[in-house]
Amino acid sequence: MNEFIEQFLVEGRELVAQGSDDLLALEENPGDKERRDSAFRAFHTLKGAAGIVDFEAMAQTLHAGEDVLSAVRSGAVVMTAAVTDLCLDCLDQVTTWLDQMQATGEVPGDAQARADQIARQFRLVSEAARPVGAASFSEATEEVGAEPQRGAPPPAALAVLEEQVTLLRNTAPAGLRGRRSSAVRVAASVLRGIDRSSEAADFERLAGATAPPEPLAETLAETLARLVEELSPPGPAQTASPGATPAETSVRVDVHRIDALVKLAGELTVAKNALGHCARLIRDDTDPRRLAAELKAQHLQLERLVADLQQSVVALRVLPLQTAFQRFPRLVREMAGALAKPARLMIEGATTEADKTIVAAISEPLLHVIRNSLDHGLETAEERTALGKPAIATIRLRAMRQGEHIVIEVEDDGRGIDLARVRSVAAARGVASAAAIAAMSEAEATDLIFAPGFSTAASVSDLSGRGVGMDVVRTTVERLGGRVFVSSRPGLGTLIRFNLPFAVMMTRVMIVEAGGQMFGLPLEAVVETVRVPRAAIAAVGAARALVLRDRTLPVIDLGKSLGVEPATGGAEATIVVVSAMGQLGGLEVDRLGERLDVMLAAPEGLLTGVPCIDGTTLMGDGRVLIVLDIRELLE
Amino acid sequence: MDDASRRRSPRRILIVDDAGLVRRFHRDALEKAGFAVVEALNGVEALEKILAEPFDMAVVDVNMPQMDGLTFLTALRDLEGPERSLPALIVSTEAAAHDREAARAAGANFYLVKPVRPDLLVEHVMLMCGGAR
Repeated sequence: MNEFIEQFLVEGRELVAQGSDDLLALEENPGDKERRDSAFRAFHTLKGAAGIVDFEAMAQTLHAGEDVLSAVRSGAVVMTAAVTDLCLDCLDQVTTWLDQMQATGEVPGDAQARADQIARQFRLVSEAARPVGAASFSEATEEVGAEPQRGAPPPAALAVLEEQVTLLRNTAPAGLRGRRSSAVRVAASVLRGIDRSSEAADFERLAGATAPPEPLAETLAETLARLVEELSPPGPAQTASPGATPAETSVRVDVHRIDALVKLAGELTVAKNALGHCARLIRDDTDPRRLAAELKAQHLQLERLVADLQQSVVALRVLPLQTAFQRFPRLVREMAGALAKPARLMIEGATTEADKTIVAAISEPLLHVIRNSLDHGLETAEERTALGKPAIATIRLRAMRQGEHIVIEVEDDGRGIDLARVRSVAAARGVASAAAIAAMSEAEATDLIFAPGFSTAASVSDLSGRGVGMDVVRTTVERLGGRVFVSSRPGLGTLIRFNLPFAVMMTRVMIVEAGGQMFGLPLEAVVETVRVPRAAIAAVGAARALVLRDRTLPVIDLGKSLGVEPATGGAEATIVVVSAMGQLGGLEVDRLGERLDVMLAAPEGLLTGVPCIDGTTLMGDGRVLIVLDIRELLE
Repeated sequence: MDDASRRRSPRRILIVDDAGLVRRFHRDALEKAGFAVVEALNGVEALEKILAEPFDMAVVDVNMPQMDGLTFLTALRDLEGPERSLPALIVSTEAAAHDREAARAAGANFYLVKPVRPDLLVEHVMLMCGGAR
């Protein structure tokens, strides 16, 4: 591929991401000049880049968008929902073109018709979005045009009003009357302050008329909630996003990290020369003890350098999670629209860095969880209002670094998980026996949503994937060396947490010998190792089991089950207790070996597709160590 | 206590905070915006003042000796007289959801996290008690 095109693709995608990000932020906060200017610059820069690679049609398309955004800047055009949609469509088209270029390495030849079409739409839309006396193009335009003098109330006013709604709904018995009357008083003050005196008077009248007996707090809350909704700007409402400046989504490598590598390469060269020195010592028949000391020193030096090198390489693979998150605001916007469930997505910690593999692989499971939340977790606006919740639902996507882990959470304020329903569906689908399900604790029942074959969707909707459930989410996360947790509060919402390792390159394995062959077991799956009298292992039908501290573990003879050789007899058996997917099991092995940090490679050649193999790694003596997939083994 | 009887005089704000610097900071901001400010060092003092003279709003810290902000609020909301409806803004160093929840349960009308920018404080106080005068 032409070098220019290669660079154009990288930069193009960054600019598209930046532009989309800006447009969405602008929709939430139409007064944000920085975002407006940034969106304009993204279009402008993209246009210039398209010109450099001679992609005339793309340049024209972007030029049309740039014109409209420039008119928005000067106030000649109002940024309506239709304008936003079209700008986003335009960026989508650019992405399609970039994909084509990536595949073919060339500028698409048939782009002109589409370019003309988009340019035409831009003209139409910007005509419709003239601020004064323009025909209404969309509801949003109408709203903007209808009340230019009053405008949207300041966010602080809405926030204070919303808080009074919450206060009115809060039914703590202590100081109830004082709480209620203070909320009414504050709400009326705010309404007057934003030129809504008649509403304020109505509200006060309602509060006064129904007392005593005590005015129904819910009635007041509902009335106020409706008012807040009327006052809120259209679209996904004001998102509190302090310091939500767009993260740099570049995949380019920090110069410092390259410098560190260059320095390490230099030190490795020195270490290599030292080995030559050792070779000379051997040739000159040096005293073996002196030689050993020399070699040991060199070994230590190399060990340090290799550790540093590993660390630096891991750092090269680190990307901000923003790369994975950036598609979600848009997806939520579209899905919320399609489902008619108004929702806003609030992202926190998008600059948190994670291994490239994780950033690339986490997007799908997250998408699934977010879809689930919109599809099943959130109520409709009517239901929410009836329940006394804000009509616009909130989904929070949070990422943070905790030591050697990355925590990613998706939290919604929907209905929570209906455990009764989970139990009945799980029983109906045969996930476990009805008796077992009935005996489960709440936490265990909640975990049923991860069981293979479980899906609470009564009907297969357009949104949640077909046949793909939370079990796939769990599998994906566990493959990355992570864990999934779920907690839910009925009526208040659901929280799904991914706990992922920061670096996925290194796997700590325990080496075991079974049937005369060495295998690696991922250390994270190893719970403990025990030696038990062989008699303690009882036959249960065709299988064997061991009772260990009141828990019954199935025991698998590792050598036998892998088709090598059964475990050698003896008075005592060595058992490695392992856990995967919340399931415990005992692996009977002949011998325990050392623990190693290894870099796992996917199984290749003859091993491809063989079950129970997680990957392979080279050992010091050149032999290949097969690292077992505990999860598959236990199945 | 009727607002109408002193429509022209400045609204009276009670600042409840044990830290002198914070009181001064909040007082400056509010007085510049045209409010009349009275200070109390803890919940006990605040309750005494509220029962003795009329206020339009209270700006309350959480962590204070003798009587903390939330205990004060709970007691305030439980009073028999009209003082119980006094709008209260909590200004706290704690930003966690459960701290907000606790303030709400005690009957706070809004919650800001310290340090509060003076313009934000004034904006919220203005909104919550209906202007400086």
